[in-house]
Amino acid sequence: MTDTAEQARPTPGPGATPRLQMRDISKRYGGVRAIRHADLTVAPGTVHALVGENGAGKSTLIKILSGAEQADTGTIAIDGRVVTIGSTSDAIALGVQTVYQEPQLFAELTVAENFFVGREITRGPVVDWRAQAPRMLALLDTVGLDRGVAARPLGSLSIAQQQQVSIAKALLEQASILILDEPSAILTDAEIDVLFDVVRRLASEGVSIVYISHRLDELFRIADEVTIMRDGETVSSQPIGELTVREIAERMVGGAIAEGHRAPAEHGDVVLELDGLTLAGAFEDVSFELRAGEVLGLYGLVGAGAAEVGEVVYGMRRATGGRMRLVGSDRPVASPSDAKRRGVRMVPANRSTQGSFSFQSIAFNITIGSLGLLGRLPAWVSPPTERRIADDLIRRLAVKTPSARQPLAAMSGGNAQKVVLARQLVERPELLVLAEPTQGVDVGAKEEIHRIVADLAAAGTAVLVVTTDLAEVQRIADRILVFRAGRVARELPPTASQAELLAAAAGAEDEPVRQEEDR
Amino acid sequence: MTATTNPAGERGPQTRSRRPAWLTPGLLRDRTVLLLVLVVVLVVVVTVLDAMGLTSGRFTTDYLAAALIGYVPLALLALAELFVITSGRGGIDLSVGSMVSLTGVVFGMLFQQQGLPLVVSIVLAVAFGALLGAVNGVITAYFGFPALITTLATYYAYRSIALVISDQKPISGPEISEFYGAAKSVELPLIGHLVPLVPLGVFTFLLPVAVLAWFVLNRTTYGRKLYAIGTNDTAALWSGIETRRTRMLAYVTAGAVSGLVGVYTVAQFASARPDAGTSGSGMALPAITIAVLGGVAITGGIGRLSGILLSALLIVWLNASILLVVPGNEGAQAQLLALGVVLLGASLLSNATIRRRQAGGSGRREVPGSVSGTAT
Amino acid sequence: MTVTDARAPEEVSLRRILPPVVTGQEVVLLAVLAVLWVLLGIFTPAFLTAGSIGPLLVQVAPIALIGVGMTFVIITAGIDVSVAGMIMVCAVVTARTLVGADVPAVVAVALAVALGAVLGSVNGLLIAYGRVHPIIITFGTANVFTWLGLRVFDSSTVNNIPGTLSFLGRGAAGSTLGVPHSFALTLVAVAVAWWFLRYTRAGRNLYAIGGNQNAARLAGIKVQPRLVSVYLVTGALAGLAACMIIATGTSTLDQSVGAGKELQVIAAVVIGGTSILGGRGSVVGTLLGALLVQTVVSGVTQLGWPTQLGFLFVGVFILVAVGTDLIRERARRRA
Repeated sequence: MTDTAEQARPTPGPGATPRLQMRDISKRYGGVRAIRHADLTVAPGTVHALVGENGAGKSTLIKILSGAEQADTGTIAIDGRVVTIGSTSDAIALGVQTVYQEPQLFAELTVAENFFVGREITRGPVVDWRAQAPRMLALLDTVGLDRGVAARPLGSLSIAQQQQVSIAKALLEQASILILDEPSAILTDAEIDVLFDVVRRLASEGVSIVYISHRLDELFRIADEVTIMRDGETVSSQPIGELTVREIAERMVGGAIAEGHRAPAEHGDVVLELDGLTLAGAFEDVSFELRAGEVLGLYGLVGAGAAEVGEVVYGMRRATGGRMRLVGSDRPVASPSDAKRRGVRMVPANRSTQGSFSFQSIAFNITIGSLGLLGRLPAWVSPPTERRIADDLIRRLAVKTPSARQPLAAMSGGNAQKVVLARQLVERPELLVLAEPTQGVDVGAKEEIHRIVADLAAAGTAVLVVTTDLAEVQRIADRILVFRAGRVARELPPTASQAELLAAAAGAEDEPVRQEEDR
Repeated sequence: MTATTNPAGERGPQTRSRRPAWLTPGLLRDRTVLLLVLVVVLVVVVTVLDAMGLTSGRFTTDYLAAALIGYVPLALLALAELFVITSGRGGIDLSVGSMVSLTGVVFGMLFQQQGLPLVVSIVLAVAFGALLGAVNGVITAYFGFPALITTLATYYAYRSIALVISDQKPISGPEISEFYGAAKSVELPLIGHLVPLVPLGVFTFLLPVAVLAWFVLNRTTYGRKLYAIGTNDTAALWSGIETRRTRMLAYVTAGAVSGLVGVYTVAQFASARPDAGTSGSGMALPAITIAVLGGVAITGGIGRLSGILLSALLIVWLNASILLVVPGNEGAQAQLLALGVVLLGASLLSNATIRRRQAGGSGRREVPGSVSGTAT
Repeated sequence: MTVTDARAPEEVSLRRILPPVVTGQEVVLLAVLAVLWVLLGIFTPAFLTAGSIGPLLVQVAPIALIGVGMTFVIITAGIDVSVAGMIMVCAVVTARTLVGADVPAVVAVALAVALGAVLGSVNGLLIAYGRVHPIIITFGTANVFTWLGLRVFDSSTVNNIPGTLSFLGRGAAGSTLGVPHSFALTLVAVAVAWWFLRYTRAGRNLYAIGGNQNAARLAGIKVQPRLVSVYLVTGALAGLAACMIIATGTSTLDQSVGAGKELQVIAAVVIGGTSILGGRGSVVGTLLGALLVQTVVSGVTQLGWPTQLGFLFVGVFILVAVGTDLIRERARRRA
């Protein structure tokens, strides 16, 4: 627990007043100390990364800055002046704008209305559209959206477009501090480039940006400085150039972490075979074989079609063309229960909406996918059996919890993800599909989940990993199929360079490999 | 049903109440415990008032036992709502009162007018109720209508059918009058002399259904599925649960239980009245109130049988007690006030505790009317 | 790319930013209503006379009026099932005041509206600050208000109510040129509400609150005061409607006043195309929905069918109306 605000700051000029200075912040919720002691200093016109595992306190710190929460102790100073941020409107008035991970927007209102909601320009009680329109249209241009979307209900736009709207919205006010909370999580690499352009330009105009992300490698492309939090305290704060990805990760976890790719292993019979499989509107002519004990990575940008392949294999969607052979049977998978009966399990991509029964117990969450195993008679559930199965899985996956009766909502992201994974492992599946298995998961749990997957493959399960996380797919896959625009663009070994993989996914095979990013 | 415990490392809330620390967390956290305490407090208070001569009648165990006649239909309908509300996605059933009326009329027609044997008539009435519930279930679960809308529509539809087919006249007759004996109070065998007369309906109607319901909710895969779809419908889908069928069955259950209540009211009033469930403001609102009071979360996924049974008991005995203290019409009116106040008090109280313990923040998922030990 | 772009901003017409003036549901309802009226006119010629339409409009007025408030409430993803109780309290207090003190109409109406507003704000405060689901709160207050009303009735009826409010009633004093005053008043309320929901910031914010209350709060909308206000308005309108109900009744008021009205109002609102899930809705639809329900109920009686059949039709209409709205909504989302 070292560096404080006195650490070296980049331009502009030495001794310049920091745009933001949070000092000695602490915050408790009931008996839980979310933040023990945190400092955050952000210079004007810089991009300041804030990193930490889930539960380290960075979300809470941001909530305090944006006015959604109030700190128990400590001071906040903006441009040298101590301020009180008692509410979200206080924060907005002080020039603090936040763009959340999930666009906090209104599906039923039009894009235009979403822009101005909460800060409409009015003549008397009436909303003044003539005054509002020009600024909005200009901002739509800035983020690269077509002006025609203005009149469409927001719900009819894609998720990425909705986020573009939310960023444009944040630019509407003259923000002096812009908080971006994991903005790239739902964006394709192309969209991330647009995002970074906007961010850099804003920084050059003097806006300070607090950038939160789990994607450590990405930070080097965009951030000037980084503050690392661990267990509710700020561990260090310095220019990002002074650290490597590994060093940052180590400080986040507090110990060294293992590196490396998957060891080659023996593979068994073919478990899954796709032959020209097509899902209209998502992917086309996908063919591959997957053997027992093998880990196949499907890597691609969001929307490239890899995710939908997983959904078809699991029976959530039906292919419109081609053939799929699963453990010897040509019959298409009709539904998740059909998939399960045939030995396929899947960890869905979005835990909170698709995987988590938040206020049920961990035991419930683990056994809900295997109800048939819970009793001797059909449709019978025996609580001791339920407990036994749950405890067994908790132990096997090293889920950190005092008891299986804890509600899932009380757990950190990484542990909750392990529980959802555990649900699929009650019986060892023939084929396990994992969609974004470590999205939003802290470094430590990420490690453990990757190890679990490796062990699973070693025991004979065929594993299909669908992910947009490049580093992840390189670490755990035996082979990587790179998806682009709904087709398999290339097959690459995990030892291929990140640049090559990224290029294949972005469709720039003919162009020179990307250089290390200039900032 | 899941049991909930303290999230790791958390101490109880700092409350300003002067109660001892161990007492408050338990009460405020567990709705069932709170209800139990309230029932006990109620009995004690009224006993004291009785001893002080402030009541208009004797507050005896006989009196309390007799009050249980009204307990049976209330508890059963609250149970019906438990299934439906717990199934989530805005689950609610406004039509239970109409289903009671309609199945009662049908029962009367089968039993009295057609002369079918009693058991056959009861079975058919319950089956008919299940069918009515299935209509609700199919429209809500398979066609995607909001449950409030569906059951509002069937509330009107079933009610009018009951009135039309019975020509607005109650059905009565010798068989039905004899059936009245099914609901009256009896002496329990063996221990009868030690214990007051208990309405037979508690044993013939309520007990078997309650036991069956407990098994279904806690010891069957269906029960797990019900809680799953109520907690997170999408995740249930991903887990391989047939969400639409599970949801529909909840409404079927509500219909079947309403059918049973329909039969019970015929016994209770010794006639099949077409407005049995819909007179006044109907039976649905009290049933829903009892369910929510009993800890059922209006957003789904949470609800315990013990809570329902206790909240219905509390209300029934509260009503009986009020009549002792404030007799006549004023008493009947005061019952309304009491129901409203208890419901408001319990809901606001439990939400206040959730908010104090929770990581203040988003409040995105609200779990009104129940405590679930969550923290963020 | 700079923010101040050289390109002239296109004129994005207001029409393209705001929702369409008339929703699909309203058009359908209008058509159905027209068809029904024509059919009834054919089969029961008496239907299309002022003597028949007049009373129908008078019956519709209180439901549609409260429906305006209920539309606001449901747009915010809330609901108010205590309306029947509010009607009872306002009606009995106003009636007793009229009998006891013989106040002028203006005072009586003001009293009813004020009382309704107070009751409504109780709902609003509990819902906005209690963080409990509105259906639970209003179930609770429904009981409390009903108790209150019954206490004021004190187990009797209110007799010999003077005709002070007859300008809102059914008779000759209640209409001008064949148009009932109560209905005209309702039309005014609907028009004001329509303008409010469409053009004012406060009105548009209601949709935001109903769409995503958390996001609305984060956007800086003062959610809680807005919520209090919609329930307050509903209460005030219930008070006004109570005056209409007194006026259209006999000179005796009994305890059944208001019974079941909450479901009628909700039915009108959902038939009108307002989504029970919040974020979407229209007061014009509510008015049409109320007209439709009353037409069906009156029509059944006029045709000589059992009155109870009318309820069956109401149930069917609810399903059909919401069903078509759902289909249209799903198609719109995919656009």
